[in-house]
Amino acid sequence: MLQLVPPVSKNRVLSDFPKWYTPEACLQFKDQFHVQVRAACQQRSTGTIGLKMSKVVVVGDLYVGKTSLINRFCKDVFDRDYKATIGVDFEIERFEIAGIPYNLQIWDTAGQEKFKCITSAYYRGAQVIITVFDLADIQTLEHTRCWLEDAQRENEPSSTLIFLVGTKKDKVSSAQCKHTECDAIRYANEMQAEYWTVSAKTGENVKEFFFRVAALAFEHSVLKELEKGSGPMTQIGTGNLIKVEKDEAENVKGSSQASISCC
Amino acid sequence: MEATVSSCKVVEGGGGSSRSRSQFSMQFISNLTDLQELEEVYGRLCAEQNDAESQLEMLVNQQSSIENKMTVLQRMGPNLQLIEGDAEQLSGMISFTCNLAENVSSKVRQLDLAKNRLYQAIQRADDILDLKFCMDGVQTALKNEDYEQAAAHIHRYLSLDKSVIELSRQGKEGSIIDANLNLLQDAEQRLKVIVAEKFSVATKEGDLPQVERFFKIFPLLGLHEEGLSKFSEYLCQQVANKAEENLLLALGTDLSDRRAAVIFADTLTLLFEGIARIVETHQPIVETFYGPGRLFTLIQHLQVECDRQVDKVVDKFIQQRGYHRKFQQVQNSMMRMSATDKIEPRELDPILAEVALMNARSELYLRFIKRRISSDFEVGDSMASEEVRQEHQKSLDNLLNHCLLSRTMQEVIGYYITMEEYFMRETVNKAVTMDTCEKGQLTSSMVDDVFYIVKKCIGRALSGSSIDCLCAMINHSTTVLESDFREVLCNKLRMGFPATTFQDFQRGVTSAVNIMHSSLQQGKFDTKGIESMDEAKLSFLVSLNNVEVCSENIMTLKKTLENDCTKLFSQGFGGEQAHAKIDSCLTDLASVSNKFRDLLQEGLGELNTTAVKPQVKPWINIFLSVSHNIEEEEFNDYEANDPWVQQFIINLEQLMAEFKTGLSPVIYDNLTSLMTSLIAIELEKVVLKSTFSRLGGLQFDKELRSLVAYLTTVTTWTIRDKFARLSQMATILNLERVTEILDYWGPNSGPLTWRLTPAEVRQVLALRMDFRSEDIKRLRL
Repeated sequence: MLQLVPPVSKNRVLSDFPKWYTPEACLQFKDQFHVQVRAACQQRSTGTIGLKMSKVVVVGDLYVGKTSLINRFCKDVFDRDYKATIGVDFEIERFEIAGIPYNLQIWDTAGQEKFKCITSAYYRGAQVIITVFDLADIQTLEHTRCWLEDAQRENEPSSTLIFLVGTKKDKVSSAQCKHTECDAIRYANEMQAEYWTVSAKTGENVKEFFFRVAALAFEHSVLKELEKGSGPMTQIGTGNLIKVEKDEAENVKGSSQASISCC
Repeated sequence: MEATVSSCKVVEGGGGSSRSRSQFSMQFISNLTDLQELEEVYGRLCAEQNDAESQLEMLVNQQSSIENKMTVLQRMGPNLQLIEGDAEQLSGMISFTCNLAENVSSKVRQLDLAKNRLYQAIQRADDILDLKFCMDGVQTALKNEDYEQAAAHIHRYLSLDKSVIELSRQGKEGSIIDANLNLLQDAEQRLKVIVAEKFSVATKEGDLPQVERFFKIFPLLGLHEEGLSKFSEYLCQQVANKAEENLLLALGTDLSDRRAAVIFADTLTLLFEGIARIVETHQPIVETFYGPGRLFTLIQHLQVECDRQVDKVVDKFIQQRGYHRKFQQVQNSMMRMSATDKIEPRELDPILAEVALMNARSELYLRFIKRRISSDFEVGDSMASEEVRQEHQKSLDNLLNHCLLSRTMQEVIGYYITMEEYFMRETVNKAVTMDTCEKGQLTSSMVDDVFYIVKKCIGRALSGSSIDCLCAMINHSTTVLESDFREVLCNKLRMGFPATTFQDFQRGVTSAVNIMHSSLQQGKFDTKGIESMDEAKLSFLVSLNNVEVCSENIMTLKKTLENDCTKLFSQGFGGEQAHAKIDSCLTDLASVSNKFRDLLQEGLGELNTTAVKPQVKPWINIFLSVSHNIEEEEFNDYEANDPWVQQFIINLEQLMAEFKTGLSPVIYDNLTSLMTSLIAIELEKVVLKSTFSRLGGLQFDKELRSLVAYLTTVTTWTIRDKFARLSQMATILNLERVTEILDYWGPNSGPLTWRLTPAEVRQVLALRMDFRSEDIKRLRL
């Protein structure tokens, strides 16, 4: 399946590191990929054969615009009619980052309470959690904390990247937006999340946001891969044995030389 | 006069090229005085004269033919006059014909117009007649209570061109027509009232033929919507009656009844089947009398009643089965880890099965509805624009996704998933605690049990036909297998294989310490002494087998599920997205298999280092105590009484025998492979520590050969490769002279690939006591 995919579309190619939205709540300030990551990308030694994939889970109250946000980015459409998501939907978005093909598997969850049992089964193994709220509805911001908690329960806190996204910027005045942003940034810092304000209707910041997600997730997973590669792999199997053999051989060499000189 | 002018012109031209005249004028000639000139001119004039003469002659010759032509021309004269007359006559005739044609065609055109008007008149007359006929017909039909006939007349009247009627009213007999029209309209109204009345009477009496009779009349009166809604009202009533009856029956079912456990699912099934049957039987009538695209309206009405009945059934289900209460209990049990007031998972089994069945039935029903409406729309929309189609598709999706039935089932399934997850997790835990291993079995009971449970849970979710629910359960199974169950096996392996020497000696102190140690580690290991050690050994081996079987079972499970899902999709459940979702979840599940494989490798490594290595190493070390710096006599002695290798092989055989019986063939093979690697490495070490004579080398070569021969019989892996370095060492130790190595080295190596570096070759050469170090140093490798 993977061999037959057409090349990544031009507007999904990332060569520069995308910038944060606000320095007050962002995951990192660098404007370049990590040195090791850059080196690994140049050598094409990013580990696993084939395409890399990260799982992204989008959570938040109903009617905050999770599906709209994803549809704006993945299909560049905006549907005015509200259609509640049933269970979960998902999209695979293909990127090319620093010359390496990279996929985001975006899981769009239903916000309705009755689907929580279904959606919570998908939280496990997520590399990115995007918590979404409606800028025009402050309550939804308050709920993001619970959403994150639920999603984090299934994952190790250190292994996930968290984003907090305020949607429907087009619906609020700039003054109101500023005000809500202030609150949201406080929340984001508590959650150790990166904050973004977007509008799926106008498309403002949507592409920038997902590029940032893709870049950070990519870097994160490559670093993890590199770490793993140098770690426990050598403990089992032949790697260890060969090493012992060498050491021993050297030792023996030393002793035999000694014995020779003795004779 | 003209002639003079022209001649003058010629003269003026002076010496013109005209051949017919002389180039010299008289004046010019008379002015000449010189004789020579005169003669010259004369000569030329003579020549001119000759010329002229010959020309004249030619012209005279032509005269006869010209005359001939002239006579011919003269004869043609009268003919030409005749032609002129004829042409004039023709022209006159043509213009006459033209006029005539003009006259005729105008008449035809007039005729045509007249004909058209006539037709219109006839049409109108027909219409008026029809109108009259309709009126009379309606009256008689109404009198005879032949409502179909009456409706047909009204239908005829309604389909008449309204403008024609309007025109007719303006005619002479306008008043009569007017009166007729009034009567007709009157009749129409009356008929509508009558039909509506009769219809409602028929519905009240439950007289299906009458109901259908009047149902067919509505569209003739242009009352499609009303007809459909009234008819569906009737059908809804039927559905409701039947459903209530069924529900009452269900509630009264004896607990010992065979279907008692799924009685609510059965009630739902009956309801859905009833509606499906109604759709099935009445679709042809609707299609024939109301046209295509109307089925949606009918089903829309029916769905409202369906929703109402489903709500009742599900309500009763929740109430009777204590669905919400059980869910609460499950939630509480999940929160609190104490084992005391946990709900027994077995209690959930029947209710989960029923919910799965309920959902399967609703999915089946919704799919039926969808297919019917879609195909009906398709027929109606074959000519419609894309927009209309999309509009229809949208309303269909809306009906299916937002009907109360869907919403109710979504809610029920939500609870179901939590309860199913609890059921799975608790039952798996139980299987783990009840784990037993029968003698002679490679794996213990929990592996089979756990996979039976997981398969059962996923299978149940699958039988519910909800893709989202299935995906959720696959995800939960992945979690249970990867975290909970893998952890169990991991812990068992972590206890380690009790490290004792294989034979009974040394059992006393070390084993006691070991047992203490391991019991401290795991906290609950009961110290039963030696037997428990054997148990611990067995438990480790069984766990290894378990891990391997798990890894395989997961792949089998994935494949089975893939097949099942393909079947589900081929039945039309779910779309492309659903497929992708399932694939993604199954991929996650499959990746757990690799994690078990990793665990197996880890366990094997552990076994190798703790159980095999400590035993094998001393046996190999014995090699050191057997001198290989030997003479003929000792060599012969060794031949008779093997000093090392036979015992080593026997020891190995005994050591591995235990593993061979306790491990699955695949793992055993893996272990022997690890062991042979270990032997090769350890043996290399001791060889490098020994010294050899020529015969000692030969002895070592013999020993190595028997060892390799033995190991080849116990493994399926090729071990030649692992012993390549050692056999090359043996080759070196068998050399006659130091320089003989060059026959095998470098360009002379032939098919042999040296695994030893030049430095190592020198090192091995140095092991031979009879080789001088200078010679070795002098070697160019």
